[in-house]
Amino acid sequence: MKSFKHVRPSTISEVSSILNKEKAVMLAGGTDLLGVLRERILPAYPDKVVSLSGLDELKYISEEKGVLKIGAMTTLNELEKSDLVKEKLPVLTEAAHSIASPILRNSATVGGNLCQDTRCWYYRYPHSIGGRVNCARKEGNLCYAMMGENRYHSIFGAARVNDPPCREKCPACTDIAGYMEKLRTGDIDGAAQTIMDVNPMPAITSRVCAHFCQEGCNRLRYDESLNIGSIERYVGDYILANADRFMKAPGSEKNKKASIVGTGPAGLTAAYYLRKHGYSVTMYERMKEAGGCLMYAIPAYRLPKDIVRRFVAALENMGVEIRCGVSVGTDGLSMEEIYQKSDCVMLDTGTWKRPLIGVAGEELTRFGLDFLVDVNNFIHERPGADVIVVGGGNVAVDVAITAKRLGVPKVSMVCLEKREEMPAGIEEIERVLEEGVDLVNGWGPKRILHGPGGVNGVEFKKVTSVFDKAGKFAPRYDEEKLMEVKGDVVLMAIGQKADLGFLEGEFQVETERGRIKAVEGSNTSVEGIFAGGDVTTGPATVIQAVTAGRNASVSMSEYMCGDLDITSPAPCLHRFDPISRRRDPAVKQRVATTSERSLEKEDASGISETDLQKEIARCFNCGCMAVNPSDLSNVLIALDAFIVTNMRRISAESFFTTDTRVPRTLEPGEIVLEVEIPLPAKETILRYDKFRLRKSIDFAVLSLATAYTVRNGYIADARVVLGAAAPIPMRMYDVERFLIGKIPSEAADEAAELALKDALPMENNSYKIDIAKVLMKRSLAF
Amino acid sequence: MVKEQLRPIITLNVNGREYELPVGEGVNEISPSETLVHTLRDRLGLTGAKLGCGQGVCGCCTVIMEGKAIASCVTLTLDCEGARITTIEGLADTATGELNNLQQAFVDKCGFQCGYCTSGIIMAAQALLDENPFPAEAEVREALAGNYCRCGTHYTAVDAVMTCVEKNREV
Ligand SMILES: Cc1cc2nc3c(=O)[nH]c(=O)nc-3n(C[C@H](O)[C@H](O)[C@H](O)COP(=O)(O)OP(=O)(O)OC[C@H]3O[C@@H](n4cnc5c(N)ncnc54)[C@H](O)[C@@H]3O)c2cc1C
Ligand code: SF4
Ligand code: SF4
Ligand code: FES
Ligand code: FES
Repeated sequence: MKSFKHVRPSTISEVSSILNKEKAVMLAGGTDLLGVLRERILPAYPDKVVSLSGLDELKYISEEKGVLKIGAMTTLNELEKSDLVKEKLPVLTEAAHSIASPILRNSATVGGNLCQDTRCWYYRYPHSIGGRVNCARKEGNLCYAMMGENRYHSIFGAARVNDPPCREKCPACTDIAGYMEKLRTGDIDGAAQTIMDVNPMPAITSRVCAHFCQEGCNRLRYDESLNIGSIERYVGDYILANADRFMKAPGSEKNKKASIVGTGPAGLTAAYYLRKHGYSVTMYERMKEAGGCLMYAIPAYRLPKDIVRRFVAALENMGVEIRCGVSVGTDGLSMEEIYQKSDCVMLDTGTWKRPLIGVAGEELTRFGLDFLVDVNNFIHERPGADVIVVGGGNVAVDVAITAKRLGVPKVSMVCLEKREEMPAGIEEIERVLEEGVDLVNGWGPKRILHGPGGVNGVEFKKVTSVFDKAGKFAPRYDEEKLMEVKGDVVLMAIGQKADLGFLEGEFQVETERGRIKAVEGSNTSVEGIFAGGDVTTGPATVIQAVTAGRNASVSMSEYMCGDLDITSPAPCLHRFDPISRRRDPAVKQRVATTSERSLEKEDASGISETDLQKEIARCFNCGCMAVNPSDLSNVLIALDAFIVTNMRRISAESFFTTDTRVPRTLEPGEIVLEVEIPLPAKETILRYDKFRLRKSIDFAVLSLATAYTVRNGYIADARVVLGAAAPIPMRMYDVERFLIGKIPSEAADEAAELALKDALPMENNSYKIDIAKVLMKRSLAF
Repeated sequence: MVKEQLRPIITLNVNGREYELPVGEGVNEISPSETLVHTLRDRLGLTGAKLGCGQGVCGCCTVIMEGKAIASCVTLTLDCEGARITTIEGLADTATGELNNLQQAFVDKCGFQCGYCTSGIIMAAQALLDENPFPAEAEVREALAGNYCRCGTHYTAVDAVMTCVEKNREV
């Protein structure tokens, strides 16, 4: 057992204050907790155990004004043996009696029963035998029951316990599983909304993102990652096609004005959220068209400009004013003016300046980014006949391929890094090779070779290492080992800098390493000026900029008006398609063959509706499948009971359904003190039926708590709660509604079918459906 | 401000005898994470209570505390401060070593096979008899519902308890 300290306070406030201050856990009877501690199933443990056994004041059962009150430290044996309970609520006696064994009931408490941890066998797998199972409910993210042994697990889907890895890896924290689920129910509008809660431009991000989400997908353990990118693109295109519905002008105006300098993804995103919430937004852009890197840096074969234009147009339709061709600070419009006119300002001016690295002859080279901008400005001129691209990142890749597609016969790409160290993504590197670019790894430029006719090559020196021991970029060279590469044009793609000239020194916006310093909340050092995107981070990714834009919009809104609530609540149980159990490869987008490729036409085409359906079915909707083990929970919900803590009084239903991990339901320092049960009307028929393998000790395989108020032979009110069927006790609202006004015995069959209509069994637990139906029918056999 | 209570000593009353045991992380001290079954077996030498599952499932470790049968494997020793505990060693007559009626009935009726679970079963039954000297068979079965025997002696165990009940009636 993990060692810990032990304290046994005698007052509730002492317990609470220890829990608040230390890494401590409460111990009541210990029957559940000591098992958890002994087997070391959790990755992290508390240092201290606070025994509640000194709190004698929590041991009681009493009746007050028609309400039965049970102290949390009452043992299950005391509950079971209580004459008061037997007389007033025999169903509770029954439920208590069904728990564990007589020996355990002597120690186990009511509070402990409500707060006990799950019994999933993966979760409880002892550390001493080959190591704990670090599943989703712990710190991991894969639920082993999904594809494994799941006969005692949920038949109604999963509870979200941690963010699934896809969401965790997404810089925007997109609820990927959530929108996949909506797509499966045919709710594409809902899916679109889920994405737009965090990212207004999925048509764009889906095309240019490296899809960090896919790197984490749990399906990788079985076959292939879900092709999230293609699904996102499908939804993104749908949004653009229906932009009039998804990007509407706000219903009411806030009469506050935000200005945004720069129209890259961060600025556009901030503009969207601000406008959506009724702010008036004006954007300033020095180029001819809005979009920043989306428009001018990323080649059209990856991101067709039409997509960017449609998104920008939709923003304008929402009422965002975009003024292009205005270079703030030089074109007669100063920062000062903008600042004065607006309630707040955001800077998203990106990194468009060329860094100089001090190589002899550097002035004879061309800045790769400028080259891309030119091409995006329809200057489709071959830069030369023999092009050398220096750099190993994604921009270098874009530069090299663009040159190639302009018809340059020979393009060499030379970078410091070894192939596996290159900052460019694997897919990008593959693309470079496919297109016939000559990729040379492990060399750094020493000097530019030139003659009277201009550049004629580059001399490189051998790199011995790129990173130092701490993993920091610190290239070292062997100055003796040299190599010459011939070429008539050198395109440098080795980084970008922010151009902060427009700040004119009037604004003491603090900078750091040539970038605007943005602290938490996207604030700069000047009040009312916010910043986001590459200008604060240095060259990053579109989705990071989108996230920065969204964060900036929240801060700006807070600054101008108070809160900006831009998330929607998530549902409780998460469903999947049983097909996800099959091992199938992912659906792929069609990518143009090398001979079909061009500068302007997008390489990848989207997936069809049929493929979309196939792919969304593969998502596990990752969560935890373990059922709630507590018998009392089901009965308490059926009885409309309340749980009283030292901080609040909550309905039993929300206590058990808010989060399936009690430590997360309870606040720090919160202690369950009492269960309050309003005594039901005389004519209420109560029942708790528990199906298990052995009559003693076993947890429920399935159970059913029912409370039927019957008048003149008809059901007037009903509570139906299925236990051990889902991660939460399942209150069957449909059945309850259906039963009202029915004669119990006549309604039984239909009620049973209705209760299990939405059941979603896994491989080994469909038998639970039959059991549940039988219990349902039995409950109505009177 | 809550002061951490320093309790270098824990007092247990086991089978009528008071034990004062030092608490701490030393070799001869009771660790705060120690369970009662370990204290009884390893510190007090009372090896009658057996450790089976360590999870409260099997009942091998049953002892009587404050009149109730409990699983000593899921009970922290430090939570037993001042408690009256009876183990199987406390049933026989201390002076003569003569078995008590219940123990004798198990011997007579061969209520065990390997015996690993037996002290647990006897303690669970004893707790019942202390509360109710004349239980019906169904009540005995109920009281033993948390004691599992891997040798399958459940029937003979119940038989032994009932024999004892009958014998008690005669007295
Ligand atoms: C073999 C076995 C079989 C079982 N079978 C069943 C069964 O069939 N049905 C069933 O419902 N249960 C069953 N249980 C679970 C049993 O009911 C619980 O172990 C018991 O009720 C927990 O009570 P405890 O006082 O021992 O809690 P502890 O183990 O002391 O605590 C359990 C958890 O609750 C927290 N906690 C305790 N009290 C409070 C409080 N007042 N406020 C906030 N948090 C608190 C603790 O921190 C801990 O995390 C079984 C257990 C075992 C070991
Ligand atoms: S059901 Fe829950 S507890 Fe069990 S393996 Fe899955 S995530 Fe873990
Ligand atoms: S299976 Fe679905 S929810 Fe799970 S990680 Fe993959 S995409 Fe995310
Ligand atoms: S060892 Fe204690 S119940 Fe099994
Ligand atoms: S007699 Fe062997 S375990 Fe019960």
